[in-house]
Amino acid sequence: MGLEEAIESGKFIVTAEICPPKGTDISVFLSEAALLQAIVDAVNVTDCPRAMVRMSPLVLSSKLIKMNIDTIMHLTCRDRNRIAIQSDLLAAHALGIRNILAMSGDFTTMGDHPYAKPVFDLDSVQMLQVINKMNRGFDLMDNPLEGATSLCAGAVVNPGARPLGFTRIKFQKKIAAGARFIQTQAVYDTDLFNEFMDEFKSVNIPVIAGIIPLRSAKSAGFMIENIPGVKIPQTTVNRMESASEPITEGLKIAAETIERIRENCQGVHIMPIGKHEHTKRLLEMCSLL
Amino acid sequence: MIVTRSKSIEEILDQLDPIADLKICVVGCSLCAGKLKTGGEPEVKNMISQLQDNRMDVIDGVVLKHACSIESWESLIKEQPVISDAEVLLVMSCGIGVSLLGRICDKIVIPALDTVSLGAALNDEILLEMCSMCGQCTVGFFSGLCPKSGCPKSQLNGPCGGSNDGECEVRERKCIWTRIYEVMEAKNMLPVLNKILAPTEYNRGL
Repeated sequence: MGLEEAIESGKFIVTAEICPPKGTDISVFLSEAALLQAIVDAVNVTDCPRAMVRMSPLVLSSKLIKMNIDTIMHLTCRDRNRIAIQSDLLAAHALGIRNILAMSGDFTTMGDHPYAKPVFDLDSVQMLQVINKMNRGFDLMDNPLEGATSLCAGAVVNPGARPLGFTRIKFQKKIAAGARFIQTQAVYDTDLFNEFMDEFKSVNIPVIAGIIPLRSAKSAGFMIENIPGVKIPQTTVNRMESASEPITEGLKIAAETIERIRENCQGVHIMPIGKHEHTKRLLEMCSLL
Repeated sequence: MIVTRSKSIEEILDQLDPIADLKICVVGCSLCAGKLKTGGEPEVKNMISQLQDNRMDVIDGVVLKHACSIESWESLIKEQPVISDAEVLLVMSCGIGVSLLGRICDKIVIPALDTVSLGAALNDEILLEMCSMCGQCTVGFFSGLCPKSGCPKSQLNGPCGGSNDGECEVRERKCIWTRIYEVMEAKNMLPVLNKILAPTEYNRGL
C-alpha cells in the first residue's frame, strides 16, 4: 500500500528512511530498499541530511518508484531557491514521485561543506504553500502550469521541542499551509511526545512518529550531541550502558516506545543508524507485521 | 553599525603579492571599524608595522572620519595629502568604504577586513545580524525583532526543528524565535504570530 492509500484507509502507517550514498555506488541503497519493500507503506529518501553532500533524492526516489516502492522524497530549503524548488517539484511529479516531505534542512555549517552559501529563500511553511499551489495548476507567482502536479505534501515537527509556544504555532501553520501528513523527529521521551500530541487531538492529519533504535550507549551520546532537539532520557542511556546485547536492548526500547505512543499517533517512521537489518524484527516485536 | 573582522596577515599579503613593490598607504575608518577596533588608529599603526616586518613599502597610514561617505577624491586628498603619494591603498574599513575608494580613485585598492554583519552596539556589547537588508521589512509583525537576520535559516514563519530549549542550534545564542515569542507575549501581540508570511520579495527596492 502506498502512503496516500494508507492515509485514506486510516491504517497505522509504517514508513522507513534510507539515506542516499555519498558517491555513485547505489547498490547498498537499492538492497536496503528491497529489504523494506514488503514491510513498509513508503520509504523516505533523505536530502543531504546533516548538510553532507550525497546523491540527489530525486534520482533515487525515481529508482524506487520503478521498483514499485512508494517514496516520500525529502526536499529542503537549504540548497534551492524558489525557482529550483518548483523545478524539482515538477521533475518529481514527472518521475512518478507523489509524496514530498518539506523541511528547512540542517544548517550548512553542520556538514562537510561548512562554507557553502545557505539559501533558505523559502521556509518550510512557504514550501508547503507552493506545493499546494502547484497542485492547483499554478506556480508561486500565479503563472499557469502546463499540467498541474499531484503531490501529497508532508511536514516535520519536533514534538520534544520545548518551550512549546512557537512549535505549536508553526505546527498549526504547516497544517493550514496544506500538510497532509506529519513525520516527527526521533521520539525517546514518550511523556514529552504524549504531552505534545494531547495538544493536537483535534488535528485530522496523520502524525507518524520517528523511531531511531539505539545501537549502543555511544550512539545515544552521539544523538544527544549532534541531532538537534533529540532528547533521550537518562534511564534509557543507562539501559544501553548496562546492556549485554546493546542492539537487542535498543530494539526493545524502540518497541516499548512504539507501544507507549501508538494510541496517540497514526504511524511510525523507522530511521535506523546505519542499515535496516533489524527493522523487520522491530516491526514484528510490536506486531506491526 | 557594519561589523568587520580582520583578515589574517597571510591573506592580506597574498592580495599584495602581485604588487609587492608598490608604495602602500594604509587607510582606516574611525566610524564602525574604529569603534570595533578593526580599523582605528591603533589597528592602522599595527598593520603598518606588520607590513614593514614583511618588507612591504609602506609610506604612511591615515584614518578617515567615515570611508563610506566621501565628498570627492579631491577633497579627500586635500585633507590627507599623503594618500596621493601611494600606489596602493590597503583599506581597513567595511566593504562599502573599500568599494567607494575603488570607484573614485586611480590607486589599487585592497581590503584588509572582511565585512560580516549589520550589527548594533549596545553599550559595550556588539549585537550581530540585526538586519539582513532583504529589501522587504517584515519586523512589524514581530515588534521590531528581525527573524530574517536573527535566524541563520532566515525563517519567516517560526523556529526550525533545531530550536532547542530556546537556544539556536547554529549560533551560540538564544533562538530569535524564542525572543520574538517572549516579546510578543509581553506586549499582548501573540495572535499576530499566527499569520503566515509570504516569501520575501527580493530586489523590489533596487
